[in-house]
Amino acid sequence: MTTRITIDPITRLEGHGRIDIILDDQGSVENAFFQIPELRGFEQFCVGRMAEEMPVITNRICGVCPEAHHLAATKALDGVFGAEPTPVAKKLRELLYMAFFVTDHTTHFYALGGPDFIVGPDAPPSERNILGVARKVGLEVASEVIDCRKRNHEIITFLGGRSIHPVAGIPGGWSRPITADERIRIEETARKNIAFATFSLGIFDKIVLQNPIFMNMVTSDIYLHRTYSMGTVDSNNQSNFYDGMIRVVDPEGNEFARYHPADYREHIAERVESWTYLKYPYLKKVGWQGLTDGRESGIYTATPLSRLNVSEGLATPLANAEYQRMYEAFGCSKITAARYQPIHHRLATHWARLIELLYAAERMLELALDPDITSPDTRTIPDPSRFVGEGVGCVEAPRGTLTHHYVTDERGILTRVNMIVGTTNNYAPISMSIKRAAERLITSNAPEEAILNKIEMAFRLYDPCFSCATHFLPGRMPLCVSVHDSRGGLLREMRRYV
Amino acid sequence: MTTGTVIIGMGNPLLSDDGVGIAVARAVGERLCHRMDLSVIELHTGGIRLMEAMAGFKRAVVVDAMLNGAAPGTLQRFDPAAFITTKNTFSSHDTDFATACDLGRMAGVPLPELVAFWGIEAREFDLFGERFTDEVSAAVPLAVERIVAEISAWEAAA
Repeated sequence: MTTRITIDPITRLEGHGRIDIILDDQGSVENAFFQIPELRGFEQFCVGRMAEEMPVITNRICGVCPEAHHLAATKALDGVFGAEPTPVAKKLRELLYMAFFVTDHTTHFYALGGPDFIVGPDAPPSERNILGVARKVGLEVASEVIDCRKRNHEIITFLGGRSIHPVAGIPGGWSRPITADERIRIEETARKNIAFATFSLGIFDKIVLQNPIFMNMVTSDIYLHRTYSMGTVDSNNQSNFYDGMIRVVDPEGNEFARYHPADYREHIAERVESWTYLKYPYLKKVGWQGLTDGRESGIYTATPLSRLNVSEGLATPLANAEYQRMYEAFGCSKITAARYQPIHHRLATHWARLIELLYAAERMLELALDPDITSPDTRTIPDPSRFVGEGVGCVEAPRGTLTHHYVTDERGILTRVNMIVGTTNNYAPISMSIKRAAERLITSNAPEEAILNKIEMAFRLYDPCFSCATHFLPGRMPLCVSVHDSRGGLLREMRRYV
Repeated sequence: MTTGTVIIGMGNPLLSDDGVGIAVARAVGERLCHRMDLSVIELHTGGIRLMEAMAGFKRAVVVDAMLNGAAPGTLQRFDPAAFITTKNTFSSHDTDFATACDLGRMAGVPLPELVAFWGIEAREFDLFGERFTDEVSAAVPLAVERIVAEISAWEAAA
């Protein structure tokens, strides 16, 4: 006899994504499945269109990270048209992207990840939200979060040429240079962002790191998986969100691969399982061993934490100091001059996200202070004789490495489109994390709300974007947590938003 | 201080019926923009973004596709007090609209005195495409009329 626990969206409203946890007679977890249906027709929708449309089509796939899709698509077009962007264009793209990272990581910490720690994992769901965070930390936090979003959205709007869905990315460049006055605004914003990121890390330090109960939870084996780590690095092997080579390290931290994003198919394969629409990417040269971790399993993770795991320190001073502090807090020893053994405790992803927030803020300031940033030389005009007809564009999205791959005919009309989005990379780790947390935490066939929340924490740390992972609109994943007995009878049901 | 009226069309114009809110908002804008202080905003995701989009306006109308179990094309109006989440007003990456509004008030964001939500029941919402299904297409003129009437009545009472 088995008991089934289902964490399912409110299908009446949404209809996407569910988690099934199957219990045996003793109330122990027999298995856990995580699956989502998919959107239909994306490739068909794109094929036959002009490739230049992709930056404005794909940035509508996702309402949460249109900037990531816009840049990945623009970079893919650089390849299609054989047009290497000017240095200024690359800097403006990265500048927009840093402003976006600041808003995205801020929102995740205060609205989604933070409440579990700041308000508490056992607190009632009605209090475990951003309002609860503000009540605990101070009401001024609400204004700080809103102000941070506002000032960065303003930068994104004028840099990207439009609010929410940027339009400035073009093959070989960026259609909108910035003025000296705009540069000053960006610099001021970046300085405020650095102060805010430092303040946020201070909250995390005080409330989480100095609390033994939380640190026991963070370092317990409930949220532990020893997988490969992936991230994009620059020529110094330091994390860069906009551009670079893909670096993969094994669970011990040895470099396993370092490749150009255009070669992704040599390194990444996708496993199809009959019970889900989503494909599990894995490292081709390691192989698929099922949903299991360790060196022999090709499962890798692409998250803020994995990006730090592959990076030789961070390129900005304050973020690098925080990076060192995190690895030393976990007792990791250095394996190169600047890099530590990887951290595999998944809840550390929240800390890594805040360190990335600080990095993005500092990097934004560096770019704002770059003497070339106001140069009008923002475009390489594509030369028809250099036309390639195929391109791969890759950026680090907040939720993992994002790859766009387009093939066109000789007129630039799309004939093939492929994407691996951030969350898709993490589909196998998310599945494993849910199963592990369920196995460790559920001890009866009537688990309490707090237990189910701690299982949700196992996937909330990835900030999964299922909508995007299935080429679907994000921003709508209320979950329904149902507990069933073996005959399908409903034992209890809870609805919540994750 | 808040001023003027905003109509916010929510959804994705590339995802079949999901784009109906945007189409209705545009049409309402065309009918009313020349004779009142009305802004039209297209929005893709809800939660804090939606709250931010209506900041500074005195009155706000939100129009969105919804999946409420009614016949496709059915038009429904909701007050914020009785509000249930429509298709796009919630964001899984931050919070629901009600919490976002509480957050805005806590932060001193000037929010509208009047907010109305209009939902149009969708049929096809997970297929990429730029056309609505027949039932949803047929519902657009009525939705536009009703919303134009509501906004006009607000203006007249102001």
